[in-house]
This record gives sequence, C-alpha cells and structure tokens, in this order.
Amino acid sequence: MSTSWHLTHDQLHQYANHTADGVTAMSAEAHLTRCARCRSLLPADEAWLDRSWSDLRDVVDQPRRGPVERLLTAIGLRESTAKLLAATPQLYRAWLTATVLVLVMALTVAHELPRGSLLFAFTAPVVPLIGVALAYGRGVDPAHSLASVTPLAGYRLLFTRTAAVLVPALTLCTAAAFLMPSVSTLREAVFWLLPALAMVAGCLALSRWMPLSLAGGVVGAAWVLALVLFSLADGLDPSLLFTPTAQVSWATVLGLLAGAILLRVRTA
Amino acid sequence: MKLLRRARRRVPVYGPDSTDTVLLSSVAAGETDALEILHRRHAPWLRARLRYRCSDHDQLDAALQETFLAVWRSAGSYTPRPGDDDAGAWLWTIAIRQLISQLRKRSNRWIAESEPEPYETVGDASAEDTVLLNIEHGPLGAALHGLSPELRSAIQATVLDGLTVREAAEILQIPEGTVKTRVMRAKARLREALTT
Repeated sequence: MSTSWHLTHDQLHQYANHTADGVTAMSAEAHLTRCARCRSLLPADEAWLDRSWSDLRDVVDQPRRGPVERLLTAIGLRESTAKLLAATPQLYRAWLTATVLVLVMALTVAHELPRGSLLFAFTAPVVPLIGVALAYGRGVDPAHSLASVTPLAGYRLLFTRTAAVLVPALTLCTAAAFLMPSVSTLREAVFWLLPALAMVAGCLALSRWMPLSLAGGVVGAAWVLALVLFSLADGLDPSLLFTPTAQVSWATVLGLLAGAILLRVRTA
Repeated sequence: MKLLRRARRRVPVYGPDSTDTVLLSSVAAGETDALEILHRRHAPWLRARLRYRCSDHDQLDAALQETFLAVWRSAGSYTPRPGDDDAGAWLWTIAIRQLISQLRKRSNRWIAESEPEPYETVGDASAEDTVLLNIEHGPLGAALHGLSPELRSAIQATVLDGLTVREAAEILQIPEGTVKTRVMRAKARLREALTT
C-alpha cells in the first residue's frame, strides 16, 4: 500500500531504540506493517542479524526427509523409527544386490534345467536369514559401538533392523516365486515362507548366546547340513522339507521360537 | 533425484530485490537463500516491534526463530492479496502468535500446547488500519494520548496486533474479562474524545 507520508529519520530511530512514546510507537507500527521503504530504513543490529540467521540455518539446513521416510511416518511410525528404518538399507545394500543376483540366477536355472526349481527352493529360505544376520552387530554396523549405548539399542534396534530386512527380502522372494515356472497354486508360491521365518526366529533366539552374525551362520549351516543329509540318506529327498507335514512342523517350531523370544524380551 | 525434485517444484527466479511473494514461493520450494533474504529484510523490524511487547531478549529471539521456522515450513500456505506483494502483515501475525506461545511455555509449562491456528493475515486494510496509519496526525492521536497506558495497551493488542481477547489476555498477563472491560472503556473514551 502506498502512503503519502513516511516516518522521519528521528521517528525511526526512536522507535528502534525503544524510546518512542506509546502513541508514536503505535503509529509507527501501523505504518511499518505496510511500508517496505520505512522498514528497510529502520536501523538494524548487524551482529545480531548474522547470529540469528546462523542459528536458523542450523535448523533449516538439515536434510529434508526422503520419500521412504515420509511414507513410513505417514503410516503412523514415530519419526525416529522411520529414520532408522529408512537408513538401514544403506547398511546391507551389498546384501540386497546379492539377493537380487541370487534370485535371478535361481530363476534362470529353474527355467533352463529340469528340476532346476529345487535350487530356488533351497536358497529362498536362507535369503532373509542372511539379511537379518548382517543387519545388526559389531563388524556390520560402523556405528554399532555408538548405537549400543543409546536407549534404542538392544531388542528394539534388533527388531527394527530385522523388520527392515524382512520386508524387502520377503517381497523379493515372493516376487521371484511367482516368476517360477509352473506355479499354479498358492502353496507352490509360498512353500519357502515358513522355513524362512522359522530360521530367522531361530537366529534371533540364538543371538542371546552369540553375536547375531554367528547365530545366522549356525542356523544357515544347519540348513545346508539338513539338505545334504536329506539328499544322501536312502529313501529321503530334500523336497520332503516342504511337504504339508513338514510345513506343520515348521509352523510349530516358528511358534515355539517366537514364544521364546517374546518371553526373553519380557523378562529382559 | 535432486534434479527431479527441483524440476517438479519449479523454483521461481529470485534475488535480493525480489518481492516477498516470489521469495516465499521459493522458500516453499526449499530454497534456504530465499529464506535468508526474507530474514534479512523482515527480522529487524519484527524484532523492534516485538520488543515493545516483551522485555526478555531470550524469549524474544526464540519467538523470532520460531517465526522464521514456521515460515520455512508453511511458506506454501501464504496467499498474497491481489496487488499486494508485501508479506509484512502475514509475518507479523506469525511473530506475535509465536511470542505468545513462548510466553505460555515460560509461565505454565505443564499445560499442553494447544494446536496452533492456521496463520491468516489480520487487518485486511480495514477502516481501523486507515485510521491508525494517520494516528500521529489525526484527532485520534490526541485522543489516544489521553488514554491511560493500560487502556492503550488493551487497544493496541486487540486492534493493532489483531489478537483475540484470549491472546491479548496472555500477552498482557491480565484476565480475559479485564481485557474486555478495558477495551470497552477505551473505546468509550475514544468515542467521547473524538465526538466532543
């Protein structure tokens, strides 16, 4: 708004130095709200201005949150948890790449060779396990010694990381399973799921006595050993590990292990 | 990724001489430099004006800080009035509200902060404004001079600063009822002084 008059030099200085009387101050304020010219003539404390801006910049210059983080916050997670979940994939990017490669390889083999789909059946359950084993602990996380002294450390961090690994791993494996040749029933697409979850639970349960990565190694080795035994023994076949009866035992094991983990968290 | 985001939001060209409207839309697109220009342009007078309402420099600076953070976060919600590129009134509305919430935090920390109301520009160049712009020179000046400081500050908070009775009560640290009676008495005095 253009006005016909402007504040005088003296009025501006009186106002800025807090020496204007009440009515002059009110008048000056009404004018300053609208008049950019008088505002720019108002004497300013440069040192204060710089300090104030640098304080402000510290807050404003923080990185803006990425799309994943915003999505996680939108579905109701706390801001810190969302940040943690979004940051975790940085730690296991190599694992993620490897997973994609292995699954692509398993798919190629399954499409090219007879009985090739067995390779997928044996690798799919281990993929989430390896991811979980590599998601937490000394030697994996460069900030582990820092993180281990925060209130977040321990089970909460462990489970958050596990969740951050399980979601992409299970998604990838399911996607791969649907790309397999001759998938007709739902059972043929998710037969690997229960063994995978049971092994992850076993790994988490074992982590009470050993580092998580070692626990993952032990469980993984047990799986390979089982495969070898089943192929060598007479009258046994590795695909027996996925029969409906076997699935029931996997479910039982998973339930028991989950119970054990919960109990341990409660009593910890 | 960054390139994509920039392309999507379309940052207007801005410089130290740009209007507030252009600067605010740049701030909405994430430009810190535009915020710095706004800060340089508006922080001094906002601070001078807040000083007349709060003598504690720490609280005052905190309120200003929060003001510009609010600008950073909600610059997109600024809608300029047609033909007016000056965001002074909008910024003042934010600043005085932030000062009140600072004072509230100090005096009773245990009361949960109420949801902030959306920032709207107060005083749309109303009749009050036009009169107030000429306080010094018109008969209103003399009439205001005749008011006691208490009555004048009540008028200042409700009319000039565009505060609600509740907010005025908080910044003046008197009960709401007192604000109402003071404003009524001040208006009666002014009417009397202007008509006789």
